[in-house]
Amino acid sequence: MNRRKFLTILGSAGVASALSTARVANASGGTTTWPYYENSYGVLHDTTRCIGCRRCEEGCNKVNGLPKPKKPFSDLSVTETRRRTSAYEWTVVNKYEVNGKPVFRKQQCFHCNDPACASACFAKCFQKQPDGSVTYDGSQCVGCRYCMIACPFYAPGFEYDKAWDPLVQKCTFCEPRMKEGKLPGCIEACPIDALTFGRRSDLIKIARARMHENPGKYADYIYGEWDAGGTAWMVLAPSPEAAAASGHEFADLGLDTHLGNRPIGELTYGALSAVPMIVAFWPVLFGGAYAMTKRREAMHKAEQEAVAREAGEDVAAAVAAAVRKIEETQGRSAADTARAAMADALKAREAACAHAGEDK
Amino acid sequence: MQKDKHMRNGTPLLLLAATALACVACLTNWGAGTAPAASLEATDSGAPSAMVIFPVGAKPNTEGAAMKPVLFNHLVHEKKIENCESCHHTGEPVACTSCHTVEGTPDGKFVTLERAMHADRPAKRENGNTPQSCVSCHTEQLARRECAGCHALVKPARNEEWCKACHNVTSNITKDDVHQGAAGKLVSERNEALAAETLIGRRDVSYLTPTDGPYKVKIDAVAEKYEPSLFTHRRHVNSLMERIKDDKLAKAFHTSPETLCSVCHHKSPLSSTPPKCASCHSPRIDPGHPERPHLKAAYHLQCMGCHTGMKVGRPLNTSCTTCHKERAPQSADQPGGAK
Repeated sequence: MNRRKFLTILGSAGVASALSTARVANASGGTTTWPYYENSYGVLHDTTRCIGCRRCEEGCNKVNGLPKPKKPFSDLSVTETRRRTSAYEWTVVNKYEVNGKPVFRKQQCFHCNDPACASACFAKCFQKQPDGSVTYDGSQCVGCRYCMIACPFYAPGFEYDKAWDPLVQKCTFCEPRMKEGKLPGCIEACPIDALTFGRRSDLIKIARARMHENPGKYADYIYGEWDAGGTAWMVLAPSPEAAAASGHEFADLGLDTHLGNRPIGELTYGALSAVPMIVAFWPVLFGGAYAMTKRREAMHKAEQEAVAREAGEDVAAAVAAAVRKIEETQGRSAADTARAAMADALKAREAACAHAGEDK
Repeated sequence: MQKDKHMRNGTPLLLLAATALACVACLTNWGAGTAPAASLEATDSGAPSAMVIFPVGAKPNTEGAAMKPVLFNHLVHEKKIENCESCHHTGEPVACTSCHTVEGTPDGKFVTLERAMHADRPAKRENGNTPQSCVSCHTEQLARRECAGCHALVKPARNEEWCKACHNVTSNITKDDVHQGAAGKLVSERNEALAAETLIGRRDVSYLTPTDGPYKVKIDAVAEKYEPSLFTHRRHVNSLMERIKDDKLAKAFHTSPETLCSVCHHKSPLSSTPPKCASCHSPRIDPGHPERPHLKAAYHLQCMGCHTGMKVGRPLNTSCTTCHKERAPQSADQPGGAK
């Protein structure tokens, strides 16, 4: 096997592996699900209805077998503080103030159409399911917590208290229950239909219908319809009173209104998708370039040697001719002396050349 | 019937305009007009006590085909509204139809009669007085505390009945009256006579009384964590009626005996024997109807919605045991209001 053949085989192997990596990524759902699954489920959270009873928190805790919290769920004062979701509290209800009136909002994983957590995870732990949930499979999780940094809603929590195999935990949309045909725990627990479960496309229509039927009650915006590329969970906010129209109804509810309407992952898909290509091709590319440089050098050296040899032969012939002339004109002994002297001189020059060559 | 003919004629603009007119009249209150025409209480301003507003336009129909005119009770409005410029926004005490006609005029900046009377939210004027329309001002009234409870839950459906509340004048009006009126040529004596006749002919609707309904209702269809709630039906109806007893606005617009019932017993035909809530609201969440609250939520939305709207401070939305007694064997760790 010569060098060229070796390089050809190596290169084609690289291309093949790069292509198959790409195909695997597509087949497993990858991270990009834009446009979203048409028939996926979602939840409409109507904050004008929510009374802050924390029943959803309790329902979540119960169906998911989460540890009992320090303060009981009947203690409603905890809603006063700005709580965040954690590995053991997958949903929290906080109290906000809009138009000087208390408004409660439930926080949990929003189950993005195109989740940022999934785009950030190099172990492919997160996946958007056709039923609308964003699921997490911890078997490959390395605990890097990139997902927690990527999530615009700060939803995933980490089991910091576990020494062995700590995992990321977040709301699952009760995906295991949905598979059994049951509703998520929080939805079943809500006593006032502040959480409406249904197909995402229907929920958007329901939300608009509520705005239409109750002029002046709602802010004219469905948070999550487009935010961060669209989310399965969506939020309705009370309208600002005409006098105090701030236009920040959703910011007042602690929601980020600057997420834009494209998936967060789109910012990194371009760069991250280049990684397998780079891994496959760079060794081939640079290996090949190195080999070619080496070969060119070798060829150059051989050429130089040939030229030098030719030049040496020329000198020998000239010396022989000169010596023959001396022999004819001045006799044999003079010719011998001259030959010896020239041979010495040539030897000395060659030695000098060789020395210089070694230096190179 | 004259009205049928109008409808068939179908000049929508005219219809709308007349709606507007009728609205104005209707908004007027007809409780005041119990005296004969000559003895209608006089206004302070010297304007007629009541008038009929016709859909004045450039092309009056000789057949008298037009939107049904509106009775406007100037007296009642004048008493309620201190500032004449709320309606007479130019400062001139002239008739609306002198500028706002069916087609619009340059003087009225081409704001048609229909818009002038029905605009929900008139655009705020940069300088000067932002005018009110009949509808915009009356919609604002729904925020009054005695109205806000029910009207937080129910916004009047804008159907035929809604129009009829205002577009409603005496049946003695002739085709010629309408023709003259729509041309803006009806003599004021005749106009006022028609208005007075309409006003006098009006009778207050007799509501169902609290005793027509049940005394108490046991709501137990979904009781699981708490004891069933005992709803004091009569007390609630009584309280609502007491609040709007002397409200002329309510009298003018609550036009059928079951109007008050239809707030809670909504979305089914008006009836003194309405269907059960569970006829539509299933005890469990119905995936086929995500827009429909399940039974427990339906109760809570109605009760809490009205109590919040009326600013009834008590009970707190999260104080479950005020309405439902705790069930004995249940652990004490259950907040929220189940029924």
